[in-house]
Amino acid sequence: MAQIKNRLTPFFENITFDRDDNELVLNFGPQHPSAHGQLRLMLHLQQEQIVKAHPDVGYLHRGMEKMAENMIYNEFMPTTDRMDYIASSSNNYGFALAVEKLVGLEVPRRAQVIRMMLLEINRLMSHLFWLATTALDVGAMTVFLYAFREREYLMDIIEGYCGARLTHSAIRIGGVPLDIQDTFIAQLKDFLDKFPQAIKDYEDLLDKNRIWLMRMEEVGVISTEMALSWGCTGPMLRASGVAWDIRKEEPYELYDEVEFSVPFSDKGDNYARYRVYMQEMRESAKILYQTIDMYKKTQINNQTELMAHAPKYISAPKLDIMTQNYSLMQHFVLVTQGMRPPVGEVYIATESPKGELGYFINSQGGAYPYRLKMRAPSFWHTGILTDLLPGHYIPDVVSIIGTTNIVFGEVDR
Amino acid sequence: MRAYKGKGDVQAKPYYTDRYWVAPRVPKFDVESDEVFSKDLEVIKSKFDVLEAFIQVEQMTVFINPDDNYKVLQLLKDELDYTQLSEMSAIDFIETRDGFEIFYQMLSMNKRKRIRIKMFIKNGAAINSVEKLFRSADWSEREVFDMFGIEANGHPFMKRILMPYDWQGYPLLKTYPLQGDEFAAWYEVDKIYGKEAREEIGPEIRDTATVDRYDSDRFARLGYEVPIGVKITGNEPKNTQNYQEEGGVFLIRKLDKDSSKVIDDPQR
Amino acid sequence: MAQHKINYTQNGGLPVALTSMDKVVNWGRSNSLWAMTYGLACCGIEMMAAGASRYDFDRFGTIFRASPRQSDVMIVAGTLTKKHSEFIKRLYDQMTEPRWVISMGSCANTGGMFNTYATVQGVDRIIPVDLYLPGCAPRPETLQYGVMLLQKKIRANKASRAQKPKRLM
Repeated sequence: MAQIKNRLTPFFENITFDRDDNELVLNFGPQHPSAHGQLRLMLHLQQEQIVKAHPDVGYLHRGMEKMAENMIYNEFMPTTDRMDYIASSSNNYGFALAVEKLVGLEVPRRAQVIRMMLLEINRLMSHLFWLATTALDVGAMTVFLYAFREREYLMDIIEGYCGARLTHSAIRIGGVPLDIQDTFIAQLKDFLDKFPQAIKDYEDLLDKNRIWLMRMEEVGVISTEMALSWGCTGPMLRASGVAWDIRKEEPYELYDEVEFSVPFSDKGDNYARYRVYMQEMRESAKILYQTIDMYKKTQINNQTELMAHAPKYISAPKLDIMTQNYSLMQHFVLVTQGMRPPVGEVYIATESPKGELGYFINSQGGAYPYRLKMRAPSFWHTGILTDLLPGHYIPDVVSIIGTTNIVFGEVDR
Repeated sequence: MRAYKGKGDVQAKPYYTDRYWVAPRVPKFDVESDEVFSKDLEVIKSKFDVLEAFIQVEQMTVFINPDDNYKVLQLLKDELDYTQLSEMSAIDFIETRDGFEIFYQMLSMNKRKRIRIKMFIKNGAAINSVEKLFRSADWSEREVFDMFGIEANGHPFMKRILMPYDWQGYPLLKTYPLQGDEFAAWYEVDKIYGKEAREEIGPEIRDTATVDRYDSDRFARLGYEVPIGVKITGNEPKNTQNYQEEGGVFLIRKLDKDSSKVIDDPQR
Repeated sequence: MAQHKINYTQNGGLPVALTSMDKVVNWGRSNSLWAMTYGLACCGIEMMAAGASRYDFDRFGTIFRASPRQSDVMIVAGTLTKKHSEFIKRLYDQMTEPRWVISMGSCANTGGMFNTYATVQGVDRIIPVDLYLPGCAPRPETLQYGVMLLQKKIRANKASRAQKPKRLM
């Protein structure tokens, strides 16, 4: 059958025979099952070995920064969900924190505890997803099925809280919209009790697996200098010998009150990153146990406030809106016109599951941000492939992309 | 007559403005109030012109001359221990000041401090690439070029990064509308089918409030759908959703909802 | 020797079934819908979840294939940007007839919340779509329901006669 007519000419010639250096150019993506989205790599090959790699991104560029300039602050919150869509709440949180710092808001304690719970659940979801997809790329289908099973339990908890599985919008500027549901703690405890066994299952499957070791050890070694120079953060940096975790070093929320350690390694290869991710899951579980206790303490102390009190910027609680005229008026103005933060600039970094997630906001005193720049960790974790891939062989490409844990909503924004 | 609207900034504007509104400011503090920052600033000041420096939201902002950017960043990296360039980008001030503000967001892990180096460049000017110092600037500068059209001198591969290579216009300029210009509107049609297909495929529906009223009332009637053209009486029979045809499917057992077991506990 | 009583004239009375060619072909087509892994954005994650342990797509005969040449249905899961638009056309052309397209999620249906310069306002501007799934992102159940509806659609068509290829223009 004849093809449907179009204007597209043959676009990428895979093989150039008439070059005398015997170099082959391989096009990888943008639709490739193990490219974790829409990554396109142009690889120059000498036999099986990569001599030059050229990552091409932007296939998921949706113009979020432009959208931010055309939206009031609260309106932009759902858009941040779609950035790192594996762990939406951490994006919501980064944006909310940046605006709170710009405005100077104090978030009530119970809201802080709930935020921490959501952030850590999101971290677990993201890490489980990372484990599932990377293992699948490397060939371990079993781990994919197992890790998705645990992720679904967490999805249930989150869904019970905010109603969505993937795009949560669970955090508002100034606090959280809702208290956690009655079953939240029980479900979370139930999960956390089962979780150590689950991690052990994954490790039993992978740790001494010959194929896994062959494809992970001594592959994709990132030196400390390279990681710093490329702006790597999060597990990528920690696996390269720098124990830098923003939760620990520049604590936000109540992270200075919880006890956890920062796993790191100085190997810098794929296997080190895998180990860091696995350890981080354990640490997150530890934090979650502590947040449950903190939440119970807020119940005892009767700290029920969920949103900051700042009539100029934040709507009053629902009860006040429904009963008091002034609150209703103020809510109406805030919803239709939006808050107007003071003139100034702010850059706030938070530790998202992938690394340092920063929001830079330049406000000119209007209801719309004048410029909003999102510093997404994956952007540089993709960039590092330019320097990292040369010298490796084709099968290593997949495992290296896997362990960088890139998400294209975040790379291209 | 319609009021004149400037073309310099076509971004969304609030429909209501208060003439007497004076925007508050995020407080700025003297650099002397922080020990580490004041030492750093002295080192920078001893070698380069510093136009302005202050602390805002726990971070120091330093304005420098655009020609010094490479050397200042080198100083920060080599002597002052700011080992990471977390972010760099530009802010469009063409309408008000005919230029851009470029900012470099630096991080020192040993001091646990963040500095923002800022500089103002005229519209049309290029910046010096700092790609040799920080590899992360490689992609950042490409992004700035892609979004604002600011070129970086000495960059090895100054091409668009997020938009396609054949794209026209710089999306993050304030003069560029959110929903794109005409080139953007027809980009995929022109590229795939050619210009002559424009008429057949039709323009993009950009108005999110577009509702086909003859369609929408049937859309909302889930379970009580009415074919188009038929008058809605309000007492239509319920139209149950079927996965399978009435008469059954060849070789497949028919789903019997009464005998099937519904699992209520997702954690089973 | 055991005596078997088989009603040869009834469907399900295996080992022999009497039916029309149409039904056999459609039975095969609708119950082995191999989907192309085309996760573009957020919906792609829900598509993976639909294929993973809890929702288990395999029981519908739907297996994800990495190559367009081996797949029957293209699930466009996520935002299609202008930069990518060219490739969706290429991939669609590489699929063999008969082929179907499910547009999953608001972004693929209409551009959704991304009403910006960089987003294609609906994949149906580029390739013909059979089924639109609403939601941002649609739940895996929605995708499963969509696949079942597509199966119903396939069964409703005549298989024996050569089908006219769907085309946008």
